[in-house]
Amino acid sequence: MADGLDPLSFLRFIVDRVNVGIIVVDREMEVLLWNHFMAVNSGKEAHEIIGTNLFQSFPDLPEKWLKKKINSVFILKNFAFTGWEQRPYLFQFRHNRPVTGSTDYMMQNCTFLPIMGENNDVQAVCITVFDVTDISIYQNQLKDAMAKLEDMSIRDGLTEIYNRRYIESQLAAEYDRCHRYGGELSVILFDLDHFKNVNDTFGHLAGDEVLRSVSKKLVEVLRTSDIPGRYGGEEFTVILPNTAIEGALNTAERIRSEVEKLEIVHDGRGIPVTVSIGVTQMRDSTPSHEAMLQEADLALYQCKEGGRNQARAFDPAEHPDLDSEQ
Amino acid sequence: MSIQPYNEDQRDALQEITNIAMGQAGSSLAQLLDVFVILSVPRVRIVGVEDVPDAVAEMVDDPEEVTAVRQAFYNKLRGETMVIFGRKGCADLADLMGHEEVQNSEDEEELLLDVTNILVGAVLNGLGEQIEVEFGFSPPAIMAMNTPIEKVLISDQLGWSHALLIEVNFSLEERGFKCYLIMLMPEESIDMMRQSLDHILESF
Repeated sequence: MADGLDPLSFLRFIVDRVNVGIIVVDREMEVLLWNHFMAVNSGKEAHEIIGTNLFQSFPDLPEKWLKKKINSVFILKNFAFTGWEQRPYLFQFRHNRPVTGSTDYMMQNCTFLPIMGENNDVQAVCITVFDVTDISIYQNQLKDAMAKLEDMSIRDGLTEIYNRRYIESQLAAEYDRCHRYGGELSVILFDLDHFKNVNDTFGHLAGDEVLRSVSKKLVEVLRTSDIPGRYGGEEFTVILPNTAIEGALNTAERIRSEVEKLEIVHDGRGIPVTVSIGVTQMRDSTPSHEAMLQEADLALYQCKEGGRNQARAFDPAEHPDLDSEQ
Repeated sequence: MSIQPYNEDQRDALQEITNIAMGQAGSSLAQLLDVFVILSVPRVRIVGVEDVPDAVAEMVDDPEEVTAVRQAFYNKLRGETMVIFGRKGCADLADLMGHEEVQNSEDEEELLLDVTNILVGAVLNGLGEQIEVEFGFSPPAIMAMNTPIEKVLISDQLGWSHALLIEVNFSLEERGFKCYLIMLMPEESIDMMRQSLDHILESF
Protein backbone atom coordinates (compact mmCIF):
# COMPACT_ATOMS: atom_id res chain seq x y z
CA MET A 1 0.00 0.00 0.00
CA ALA A 2 1.21 3.47 -0.77
CA ASP A 3 2.23 5.51 2.26
CA GLY A 4 -0.49 7.44 3.99
CA LEU A 5 -3.36 6.15 1.85
CA ASP A 6 -6.22 4.69 3.85
CA PRO A 7 -8.66 2.57 1.78
CA LEU A 8 -11.35 3.07 4.42
CA SER A 9 -11.36 6.77 3.67
CA PHE A 10 -11.94 5.91 -0.02
CA LEU A 11 -14.97 3.85 0.92
CA ARG A 12 -16.70 6.90 2.28
CA PHE A 13 -16.03 8.78 -0.90
CA ILE A 14 -17.06 5.88 -3.15
CA VAL A 15 -20.34 5.27 -1.32
CA ASP A 16 -21.12 8.95 -1.66
CA ARG A 17 -20.12 9.42 -5.29
CA VAL A 18 -20.87 6.08 -6.94
CA ASN A 19 -23.50 6.41 -9.67
CA VAL A 20 -26.10 4.49 -7.68
CA GLY A 21 -28.52 5.79 -5.08
CA ILE A 22 -27.63 4.60 -1.57
CA ILE A 23 -29.93 5.13 1.40
CA VAL A 24 -29.82 3.62 4.88
CA VAL A 25 -32.83 3.59 7.20
CA ASP A 26 -33.33 2.25 10.71
CA ARG A 27 -36.33 0.37 12.13
CA GLU A 28 -38.23 3.61 12.65
CA MET A 29 -37.68 4.51 8.97
CA GLU A 30 -35.38 7.32 9.97
CA VAL A 31 -32.81 8.08 7.27
CA LEU A 32 -29.22 7.46 8.37
CA LEU A 33 -27.42 7.81 5.04
CA TRP A 34 -28.29 9.70 1.84
CA ASN A 35 -25.61 9.70 -0.83
CA HIS A 36 -24.75 12.19 -3.56
CA PHE A 37 -26.81 10.39 -6.24
CA MET A 38 -29.91 10.70 -4.07
CA ALA A 39 -29.18 14.34 -3.25
CA VAL A 40 -28.64 15.35 -6.87
CA ASN A 41 -31.72 13.57 -8.17
CA SER A 42 -34.11 14.47 -5.38
CA GLY A 43 -32.86 18.01 -4.97
CA LYS A 44 -32.57 17.41 -1.24
CA GLU A 45 -29.15 17.48 0.36
CA ALA A 46 -28.03 14.88 2.87
CA HIS A 47 -28.16 17.37 5.76
CA GLU A 48 -31.82 18.09 4.97
CA ILE A 49 -32.83 14.43 4.90
CA ILE A 50 -30.66 12.62 7.42
CA GLY A 51 -32.46 12.30 10.74
CA THR A 52 -35.91 12.74 9.16
CA ASN A 53 -38.52 10.06 8.63
CA LEU A 54 -38.29 8.75 5.06
CA PHE A 55 -42.04 8.85 4.52
CA GLN A 56 -42.45 12.33 5.94
CA SER A 57 -39.73 13.67 3.67
CA PHE A 58 -41.13 11.77 0.66
CA PRO A 59 -44.90 11.56 1.12
CA ASP A 60 -45.32 10.21 -2.44
CA LEU A 61 -43.64 6.91 -1.50
CA PRO A 62 -46.05 3.96 -1.26
CA GLU A 63 -45.76 3.80 2.51
CA LYS A 64 -47.78 0.73 3.43
CA TRP A 65 -46.07 -1.54 0.92
CA LEU A 66 -42.58 -0.12 1.33
CA LYS A 67 -42.70 -0.34 5.12
CA LYS A 68 -43.72 -3.98 4.84
CA LYS A 69 -40.88 -4.58 2.43
CA ILE A 70 -38.27 -2.95 4.66
CA ASN A 71 -39.71 -4.76 7.68
CA SER A 72 -39.35 -8.07 5.87
CA VAL A 73 -35.62 -7.40 5.63
CA PHE A 74 -35.40 -6.64 9.35
CA ILE A 75 -37.33 -9.78 10.29
CA LEU A 76 -36.14 -12.31 7.71
CA LYS A 77 -32.59 -10.93 7.38
CA ASN A 78 -32.96 -11.45 3.66
CA PHE A 79 -32.50 -9.39 0.53
CA ALA A 80 -35.48 -7.82 -1.15
CA PHE A 81 -35.88 -6.36 -4.62
CA THR A 82 -38.04 -4.19 -6.81
CA GLY A 83 -37.87 -4.25 -10.60
CA TRP A 84 -38.85 -1.55 -13.08
CA GLU A 85 -40.94 -3.96 -15.13
CA GLN A 86 -43.43 -4.29 -12.29
CA ARG A 87 -42.86 -1.02 -10.45
CA PRO A 88 -41.25 1.59 -12.70
CA TYR A 89 -39.65 3.56 -9.84
CA LEU A 90 -39.48 3.99 -6.09
CA PHE A 91 -38.43 7.64 -6.11
CA GLN A 92 -39.93 9.88 -8.76
CA PHE A 93 -36.80 11.32 -10.38
CA ARG A 94 -36.38 12.89 -13.76
CA HIS A 95 -34.16 10.78 -15.96
CA ASN A 96 -30.98 11.80 -17.70
CA ARG A 97 -32.30 11.47 -21.23
CA PRO A 98 -34.25 14.70 -21.49
CA VAL A 99 -33.85 14.63 -25.27
CA THR A 100 -33.89 10.99 -26.32
CA GLY A 101 -35.89 9.40 -23.52
CA SER A 102 -39.39 8.21 -24.25
CA THR A 103 -40.42 7.59 -20.62
CA ASP A 104 -41.39 10.26 -18.11
CA TYR A 105 -39.27 9.31 -15.12
CA MET A 106 -36.08 7.47 -14.22
CA MET A 107 -36.73 3.71 -14.27
CA GLN A 108 -35.28 2.06 -11.19
CA ASN A 109 -34.27 -1.36 -9.95
CA CYS A 110 -33.82 -1.37 -6.19
CA THR A 111 -32.18 -3.80 -3.80
CA PHE A 112 -32.75 -3.88 -0.06
CA LEU A 113 -30.00 -5.43 1.99
CA PRO A 114 -29.79 -6.08 5.70
CA ILE A 115 -26.93 -4.44 7.57
CA MET A 116 -26.03 -7.03 10.18
CA GLY A 117 -24.96 -6.16 13.71
CA GLU A 118 -22.70 -8.11 16.03
CA ASN A 119 -25.52 -10.14 17.56
CA ASN A 120 -26.61 -11.44 14.17
CA ASP A 121 -29.57 -9.12 14.11
CA VAL A 122 -30.35 -6.48 11.53
CA GLN A 123 -29.29 -2.97 12.59
CA ALA A 124 -30.45 -1.09 9.55
CA VAL A 125 -31.51 -1.60 5.96
CA CYS A 126 -29.61 -0.28 2.97
CA ILE A 127 -31.57 0.54 -0.19
CA THR A 128 -29.67 0.83 -3.46
CA VAL A 129 -31.35 2.55 -6.38
CA PHE A 130 -30.08 1.70 -9.87
CA ASP A 131 -30.98 3.90 -12.82
CA VAL A 132 -32.16 1.46 -15.52
CA THR A 133 -33.84 3.97 -17.82
CA ASP A 134 -31.59 3.02 -20.74
CA ILE A 135 -32.28 -0.68 -20.27
CA SER A 136 -36.01 -0.07 -20.04
CA ILE A 137 -36.02 1.91 -23.28
CA TYR A 138 -34.09 -0.79 -25.17
CA GLN A 139 -36.20 -3.51 -23.65
CA ASN A 140 -39.42 -1.80 -24.67
CA GLN A 141 -38.11 -1.29 -28.21
CA LEU A 142 -37.19 -4.95 -28.34
CA LYS A 143 -40.60 -5.96 -27.04
CA ASP A 144 -42.35 -3.86 -29.67
CA ALA A 145 -40.18 -5.32 -32.42
CA MET A 146 -40.80 -8.86 -31.20
CA ALA A 147 -44.55 -8.27 -31.06
CA LYS A 148 -44.48 -6.90 -34.62
CA LEU A 149 -42.45 -9.86 -35.84
CA GLU A 150 -44.72 -12.32 -34.13
CA ASP A 151 -47.76 -10.67 -35.65
CA MET A 152 -46.17 -10.72 -39.11
CA SER A 153 -45.31 -14.38 -38.79
CA ILE A 154 -48.93 -15.40 -38.25
CA ARG A 155 -50.56 -13.19 -40.88
CA ASP A 156 -51.04 -13.45 -44.59
CA GLY A 157 -49.18 -10.59 -46.27
CA LEU A 158 -51.86 -9.77 -48.87
CA THR A 159 -55.05 -9.93 -46.84
CA GLU A 160 -53.65 -9.40 -43.31
CA ILE A 161 -55.91 -12.10 -41.90
CA TYR A 162 -54.18 -15.16 -40.35
CA ASN A 163 -52.06 -17.43 -42.52
CA ARG A 164 -52.46 -21.15 -43.05
CA ARG A 165 -49.82 -22.22 -40.55
CA TYR A 166 -51.42 -20.21 -37.77
CA ILE A 167 -54.93 -21.39 -38.63
CA GLU A 168 -53.79 -25.01 -38.56
CA SER A 169 -52.06 -24.63 -35.21
CA GLN A 170 -55.08 -22.86 -33.72
CA LEU A 171 -57.44 -25.50 -35.06
CA ALA A 172 -55.25 -28.23 -33.59
CA ALA A 173 -55.24 -26.46 -30.21
CA GLU A 174 -59.02 -25.92 -30.24
CA TYR A 175 -59.56 -29.54 -31.25
CA ASP A 176 -57.36 -30.74 -28.36
CA ARG A 177 -59.13 -28.47 -25.93
CA CYS A 178 -62.59 -29.75 -26.93
CA HIS A 179 -61.34 -33.32 -26.94
CA ARG A 180 -60.11 -32.92 -23.39
CA TYR A 181 -62.64 -30.65 -21.76
CA GLY A 182 -65.68 -30.95 -24.05
CA GLY A 183 -67.42 -28.06 -25.78
CA GLU A 184 -68.40 -27.24 -29.32
CA LEU A 185 -66.20 -26.40 -32.27
CA SER A 186 -67.05 -25.72 -35.91
CA VAL A 187 -65.02 -24.94 -39.00
CA ILE A 188 -65.92 -23.07 -42.16
CA LEU A 189 -64.01 -23.57 -45.39
CA PHE A 190 -64.91 -21.50 -48.43
CA ASP A 191 -63.52 -20.48 -51.76
CA LEU A 192 -64.28 -17.87 -54.38
CA ASP A 193 -66.36 -19.12 -57.30
CA HIS A 194 -64.63 -18.95 -60.70
CA PHE A 195 -61.71 -16.99 -59.28
CA LYS A 196 -59.54 -18.04 -62.21
CA ASN A 197 -61.90 -16.11 -64.49
CA VAL A 198 -61.43 -12.96 -62.40
CA ASN A 199 -57.68 -13.19 -62.82
CA ASP A 200 -57.93 -13.99 -66.52
CA THR A 201 -60.50 -11.28 -67.29
CA PHE A 202 -59.46 -8.44 -65.00
CA GLY A 203 -55.80 -9.26 -64.28
CA HIS A 204 -53.95 -10.32 -61.13
CA LEU A 205 -54.11 -6.90 -59.51
CA ALA A 206 -57.89 -7.10 -59.65
CA GLY A 207 -57.69 -10.62 -58.24
CA ASP A 208 -55.64 -9.32 -55.31
CA GLU A 209 -58.19 -6.56 -54.79
CA VAL A 210 -60.98 -9.15 -54.62
CA LEU A 211 -59.08 -11.24 -52.06
CA ARG A 212 -58.54 -8.15 -49.90
CA SER A 213 -62.16 -7.03 -50.12
CA VAL A 214 -63.50 -10.47 -49.25
CA SER A 215 -61.11 -10.71 -46.28
CA LYS A 216 -62.18 -7.31 -45.02
CA LYS A 217 -65.84 -8.20 -45.29
CA LEU A 218 -65.16 -11.56 -43.61
CA VAL A 219 -63.63 -9.87 -40.57
CA GLU A 220 -66.64 -7.52 -40.34
CA VAL A 221 -69.11 -10.40 -40.38
CA LEU A 222 -67.34 -12.50 -37.70
CA ARG A 223 -67.39 -12.31 -33.92
CA THR A 224 -64.09 -11.42 -32.25
CA SER A 225 -63.74 -14.98 -30.93
CA ASP A 226 -63.86 -16.42 -34.48
CA ILE A 227 -60.50 -16.99 -36.16
CA PRO A 228 -60.37 -16.17 -39.89
CA GLY A 229 -57.52 -17.17 -42.14
CA ARG A 230 -56.47 -17.43 -45.77
CA TYR A 231 -55.94 -21.11 -46.32
CA GLY A 232 -54.39 -20.91 -49.76
CA GLY A 233 -54.92 -19.11 -53.12
CA GLU A 234 -58.62 -18.21 -53.02
CA GLU A 235 -59.47 -20.52 -50.13
CA PHE A 236 -60.43 -19.22 -46.68
CA THR A 237 -61.02 -20.88 -43.33
CA VAL A 238 -62.79 -19.74 -40.19
CA ILE A 239 -62.46 -21.49 -36.83
CA LEU A 240 -65.58 -20.98 -34.70
CA PRO A 241 -64.91 -21.93 -31.07
CA ASN A 242 -67.92 -22.64 -28.82
CA THR A 243 -70.16 -22.84 -31.87
CA ALA A 244 -72.46 -25.68 -32.99
CA ILE A 245 -73.29 -26.42 -36.61
CA GLU A 246 -76.49 -24.30 -36.65
CA GLY A 247 -74.59 -21.18 -35.58
CA ALA A 248 -71.78 -21.97 -37.99
CA LEU A 249 -74.25 -22.33 -40.87
CA ASN A 250 -75.80 -18.97 -39.96
CA THR A 251 -72.37 -17.37 -40.06
CA ALA A 252 -71.63 -19.12 -43.36
CA GLU A 253 -74.85 -17.84 -44.85
CA ARG A 254 -74.03 -14.29 -43.75
CA ILE A 255 -70.59 -14.55 -45.30
CA ARG A 256 -72.15 -15.81 -48.52
CA SER A 257 -74.76 -13.04 -48.75
CA GLU A 258 -72.41 -10.24 -47.69
CA VAL A 259 -69.79 -11.30 -50.25
CA GLU A 260 -72.46 -11.47 -52.96
CA LYS A 261 -73.43 -7.86 -52.12
CA LEU A 262 -69.84 -6.60 -52.39
CA GLU A 263 -69.36 -4.03 -55.10
CA ILE A 264 -65.79 -4.37 -56.24
CA VAL A 265 -64.88 -2.05 -59.06
CA HIS A 266 -61.65 -2.33 -61.01
CA ASP A 267 -60.77 0.04 -63.86
CA GLY A 268 -64.38 1.16 -63.98
CA ARG A 269 -65.73 -2.37 -64.33
CA GLY A 270 -67.66 -4.17 -61.58
CA ILE A 271 -66.36 -7.61 -60.58
CA PRO A 272 -69.07 -10.02 -59.43
CA VAL A 273 -67.93 -12.29 -56.58
CA THR A 274 -69.66 -15.25 -54.94
CA VAL A 275 -68.42 -17.97 -52.60
CA SER A 276 -69.15 -21.63 -51.94
CA ILE A 277 -68.96 -22.65 -48.31
CA GLY A 278 -68.55 -25.97 -46.51
CA VAL A 279 -69.20 -26.21 -42.78
CA THR A 280 -68.64 -28.94 -40.23
CA GLN A 281 -68.82 -29.43 -36.49
CA MET A 282 -66.50 -31.56 -34.36
CA ARG A 283 -68.15 -34.76 -33.09
CA ASP A 284 -66.94 -37.24 -30.46
CA SER A 285 -65.98 -39.50 -33.34
CA THR A 286 -64.05 -36.84 -35.29
CA PRO A 287 -60.58 -38.39 -35.39
CA SER A 288 -58.46 -35.27 -35.84
CA HIS A 289 -58.47 -31.58 -36.66
CA GLU A 290 -57.33 -32.39 -40.18
CA ALA A 291 -60.48 -34.53 -40.57
CA MET A 292 -62.58 -31.43 -39.87
CA LEU A 293 -60.95 -29.60 -42.76
CA GLN A 294 -61.46 -32.64 -44.96
CA GLU A 295 -65.16 -32.75 -44.03
CA ALA A 296 -65.66 -29.05 -44.67
CA ASP A 297 -63.92 -29.55 -48.02
CA LEU A 298 -66.37 -32.34 -48.95
CA ALA A 299 -69.32 -30.07 -48.14
CA LEU A 300 -67.67 -27.31 -50.16
CA TYR A 301 -67.32 -29.69 -53.10
CA GLN A 302 -71.06 -30.45 -52.90
CA CYS A 303 -71.75 -26.69 -53.11
CA LYS A 304 -69.67 -26.50 -56.27
CA GLU A 305 -71.53 -29.48 -57.73
CA GLY A 306 -74.85 -27.93 -56.68
CA GLY A 307 -74.31 -24.71 -58.61
CA ARG A 308 -72.04 -22.56 -56.35
CA ASN A 309 -72.92 -19.43 -54.31
CA GLN A 310 -74.25 -21.53 -51.43
CA ALA A 311 -73.36 -22.90 -48.00
CA ARG A 312 -73.74 -26.50 -46.87
CA ALA A 313 -73.08 -28.49 -43.74
CA PHE A 314 -71.15 -31.73 -43.89
CA ASP A 315 -73.48 -34.69 -43.29
CA PRO A 316 -71.67 -37.43 -41.36
CA ALA A 317 -74.38 -39.96 -42.28
CA GLU A 318 -73.23 -39.77 -45.90
CA HIS A 319 -69.62 -40.49 -44.94
CA PRO A 320 -69.56 -43.08 -42.12
CA ASP A 321 -66.06 -44.08 -43.25
CA LEU A 322 -64.59 -40.77 -42.01
CA ASP A 323 -65.32 -41.38 -38.34
CA SER A 324 -62.74 -43.05 -36.18
CA GLU A 325 -63.70 -46.37 -34.64
CA GLN A 326 -64.80 -45.75 -31.08
CA MET B 1 -21.31 -37.97 -13.85
CA SER B 2 -21.96 -40.43 -11.05
CA ILE B 3 -22.87 -39.12 -7.65
CA GLN B 4 -21.97 -40.67 -4.37
CA PRO B 5 -25.19 -40.76 -2.35
CA TYR B 6 -25.29 -39.50 1.23
CA ASN B 7 -24.86 -42.15 3.90
CA GLU B 8 -27.48 -42.70 6.54
CA ASP B 9 -25.94 -40.32 9.09
CA GLN B 10 -25.57 -37.60 6.49
CA ARG B 11 -29.17 -38.06 5.36
CA ASP B 12 -30.42 -37.86 8.93
CA ALA B 13 -28.37 -34.76 9.63
CA LEU B 14 -29.60 -33.09 6.44
CA GLN B 15 -33.21 -33.90 7.25
CA GLU B 16 -32.71 -32.57 10.76
CA ILE B 17 -31.15 -29.26 9.72
CA THR B 18 -33.79 -28.67 7.04
CA ASN B 19 -36.48 -29.40 9.65
CA ILE B 20 -34.95 -26.81 11.97
CA ALA B 21 -34.53 -24.36 9.10
CA MET B 22 -38.21 -24.66 8.13
CA GLY B 23 -39.24 -24.18 11.75
CA GLN B 24 -37.28 -20.94 11.88
CA ALA B 25 -38.58 -19.87 8.50
CA GLY B 26 -42.16 -20.57 9.56
CA SER B 27 -41.89 -18.53 12.72
CA SER B 28 -40.28 -15.53 11.06
CA LEU B 29 -42.86 -15.60 8.23
CA ALA B 30 -45.64 -15.75 10.82
CA GLN B 31 -44.08 -12.77 12.56
CA LEU B 32 -43.87 -10.84 9.30
CA LEU B 33 -47.31 -11.72 7.93
CA ASP B 34 -49.07 -11.88 11.26
CA VAL B 35 -50.93 -15.07 10.35
CA PHE B 36 -50.44 -18.73 11.17
CA VAL B 37 -48.07 -20.26 8.64
CA ILE B 38 -47.60 -23.94 7.91
CA LEU B 39 -44.43 -25.23 6.30
CA SER B 40 -44.48 -28.97 5.65
CA VAL B 41 -41.69 -31.28 6.76
CA PRO B 42 -39.23 -30.89 3.91
CA ARG B 43 -38.61 -33.79 1.60
CA VAL B 44 -34.91 -34.04 0.84
CA ARG B 45 -33.32 -36.28 -1.79
CA ILE B 46 -30.83 -36.49 -4.63
CA VAL B 47 -32.50 -36.78 -8.01
CA GLY B 48 -31.39 -37.31 -11.60
CA VAL B 49 -32.20 -34.50 -14.00
CA GLU B 50 -34.73 -36.66 -15.84
CA ASP B 51 -36.75 -37.09 -12.63
CA VAL B 52 -37.09 -33.42 -11.84
CA PRO B 53 -40.12 -32.54 -13.99
CA ASP B 54 -42.06 -35.50 -12.59
CA ALA B 55 -41.00 -34.71 -9.05
CA VAL B 56 -42.31 -31.18 -9.47
CA ALA B 57 -45.51 -32.33 -11.18
CA GLU B 58 -46.20 -34.68 -8.25
CA MET B 59 -46.27 -31.78 -5.84
CA VAL B 60 -48.88 -29.65 -7.51
CA ASP B 61 -52.64 -30.19 -7.57
CA ASP B 62 -53.19 -28.97 -11.08
CA PRO B 63 -50.17 -29.56 -13.34
CA GLU B 64 -51.99 -27.99 -16.30
CA GLU B 65 -51.71 -24.41 -15.14
CA VAL B 66 -48.93 -23.36 -12.86
CA THR B 67 -47.16 -20.10 -12.30
CA ALA B 68 -43.51 -20.39 -11.38
CA VAL B 69 -41.04 -17.85 -10.05
CA ARG B 70 -37.33 -18.59 -9.78
CA GLN B 71 -34.64 -17.07 -7.63
CA ALA B 72 -30.99 -18.00 -7.46
CA PHE B 73 -28.87 -18.14 -4.34
CA TYR B 74 -25.12 -18.36 -4.14
CA ASN B 75 -22.14 -18.73 -1.92
CA LYS B 76 -20.14 -21.93 -1.47
CA LEU B 77 -23.50 -23.65 -1.98
CA ARG B 78 -25.36 -22.45 -5.03
CA GLY B 79 -28.58 -23.31 -6.67
CA GLU B 80 -32.00 -22.10 -7.59
CA THR B 81 -35.30 -22.10 -5.85
CA MET B 82 -38.61 -22.21 -7.60
CA VAL B 83 -41.87 -21.27 -6.01
CA ILE B 84 -44.81 -22.79 -7.80
CA PHE B 85 -48.27 -21.27 -7.49
CA GLY B 86 -51.58 -22.70 -8.58
CA ARG B 87 -54.20 -21.23 -10.85
CA LYS B 88 -55.13 -18.49 -8.42
CA GLY B 89 -51.56 -17.26 -7.99
CA CYS B 90 -51.24 -15.38 -4.74
CA ALA B 91 -53.67 -12.50 -5.18
CA ASP B 92 -55.30 -13.56 -1.88
CA LEU B 93 -52.14 -12.52 -0.04
CA ALA B 94 -52.03 -8.94 -1.35
CA ASP B 95 -53.11 -7.33 1.94
CA LEU B 96 -50.65 -9.39 3.98
CA MET B 97 -47.82 -8.15 1.79
CA GLY B 98 -48.87 -4.51 2.10
CA HIS B 99 -50.00 -4.44 -1.53
CA GLU B 100 -53.05 -2.58 -2.71
CA GLU B 101 -55.65 -4.63 -4.55
CA VAL B 102 -54.23 -6.41 -7.57
CA GLN B 103 -55.50 -4.52 -10.61
CA ASN B 104 -53.27 -5.41 -13.52
CA SER B 105 -50.64 -7.90 -14.55
CA GLU B 106 -47.78 -5.75 -13.20
CA ASP B 107 -49.40 -5.76 -9.74
CA GLU B 108 -49.89 -9.50 -9.98
CA GLU B 109 -46.27 -10.07 -11.03
CA GLU B 110 -44.86 -7.87 -8.31
CA LEU B 111 -46.90 -9.69 -5.69
CA LEU B 112 -45.67 -13.05 -7.00
CA LEU B 113 -42.09 -11.77 -6.87
CA ASP B 114 -42.52 -10.35 -3.36
CA VAL B 115 -44.09 -13.54 -1.98
CA THR B 116 -41.38 -15.64 -3.60
CA ASN B 117 -38.67 -13.40 -2.23
CA ILE B 118 -39.81 -13.67 1.39
CA LEU B 119 -40.40 -17.42 1.18
CA VAL B 120 -37.03 -18.05 -0.38
CA GLY B 121 -35.29 -15.61 1.94
CA ALA B 122 -36.84 -17.18 5.04
CA VAL B 123 -36.12 -20.76 4.01
CA LEU B 124 -32.59 -20.15 2.74
CA ASN B 125 -31.53 -18.01 5.66
CA GLY B 126 -32.90 -20.68 8.00
CA LEU B 127 -30.79 -23.25 6.16
CA GLY B 128 -27.80 -20.92 5.96
CA GLU B 129 -27.77 -20.43 9.72
CA GLN B 130 -27.62 -24.19 10.25
CA ILE B 131 -24.68 -24.71 7.95
CA GLU B 132 -23.09 -21.33 8.62
CA VAL B 133 -23.36 -19.91 5.13
CA GLU B 134 -24.58 -16.41 4.31
CA PHE B 135 -26.29 -16.63 0.96
CA GLY B 136 -26.44 -13.95 -1.67
CA PHE B 137 -29.60 -13.73 -3.76
CA SER B 138 -30.45 -12.71 -7.28
CA PRO B 139 -33.70 -10.83 -7.81
CA PRO B 140 -36.63 -13.20 -8.34
CA ALA B 141 -37.91 -13.57 -11.90
CA ILE B 142 -41.09 -14.98 -13.40
CA MET B 143 -40.44 -18.25 -15.27
CA ALA B 144 -43.94 -18.97 -16.49
CA MET B 145 -47.51 -17.85 -15.92
CA ASN B 146 -50.41 -20.30 -16.21
CA THR B 147 -48.37 -22.84 -18.12
CA PRO B 148 -48.48 -26.66 -18.10
CA ILE B 149 -45.84 -27.88 -15.69
CA GLU B 150 -44.01 -29.94 -18.31
CA LYS B 151 -43.26 -26.75 -20.22
CA VAL B 152 -41.82 -25.00 -17.17
CA LEU B 153 -38.96 -27.39 -16.54
CA ILE B 154 -37.58 -29.20 -19.55
CA SER B 155 -34.98 -31.69 -18.40
CA ASP B 156 -32.81 -31.66 -21.52
CA GLN B 157 -32.39 -27.91 -21.17
CA LEU B 158 -30.96 -28.21 -17.68
CA GLY B 159 -27.18 -28.22 -17.62
CA TRP B 160 -26.53 -30.82 -14.93
CA SER B 161 -27.23 -34.49 -14.29
CA HIS B 162 -27.93 -34.73 -10.56
CA ALA B 163 -29.18 -32.30 -7.97
CA LEU B 164 -30.07 -32.13 -4.34
CA LEU B 165 -33.79 -31.48 -4.27
CA ILE B 166 -35.53 -30.03 -1.24
CA GLU B 167 -39.31 -29.71 -1.44
CA VAL B 168 -41.55 -27.86 0.98
CA ASN B 169 -45.24 -26.99 0.95
CA PHE B 170 -46.20 -23.62 2.29
CA SER B 171 -49.77 -22.92 3.31
CA LEU B 172 -51.91 -20.39 5.11
CA GLU B 173 -54.91 -22.37 6.25
CA GLU B 174 -57.14 -19.45 7.09
CA ARG B 175 -56.62 -18.12 3.56
CA GLY B 176 -56.96 -21.46 1.82
CA PHE B 177 -53.62 -20.63 0.22
CA LYS B 178 -50.95 -23.11 -0.74
CA CYS B 179 -47.79 -22.98 -2.80
CA TYR B 180 -44.74 -25.17 -3.29
CA LEU B 181 -41.13 -24.36 -2.90
CA ILE B 182 -38.42 -26.46 -4.47
CA MET B 183 -34.74 -25.91 -4.06
CA LEU B 184 -32.30 -27.47 -6.49
CA MET B 185 -28.56 -27.54 -5.92
CA PRO B 186 -26.57 -29.15 -8.72
CA GLU B 187 -23.61 -31.54 -8.48
CA GLU B 188 -20.81 -29.55 -6.86
CA SER B 189 -23.15 -28.31 -4.15
CA ILE B 190 -24.04 -31.91 -3.26
CA ASP B 191 -20.42 -32.43 -2.23
CA MET B 192 -20.14 -29.07 -0.50
CA MET B 193 -23.23 -29.97 1.49
CA ARG B 194 -21.66 -33.32 2.35
CA GLN B 195 -18.68 -31.53 3.87
CA SER B 196 -20.96 -29.27 5.90
CA LEU B 197 -22.93 -32.28 7.10
CA ASP B 198 -19.77 -34.13 8.12
CA HIS B 199 -18.61 -31.04 9.94
CA ILE B 200 -21.90 -30.91 11.87
CA LEU B 201 -21.76 -34.65 12.61
CA GLU B 202 -18.20 -34.36 13.97
CA SER B 203 -19.23 -31.65 16.38
CA PHE B 204 -21.73 -33.92 18.14
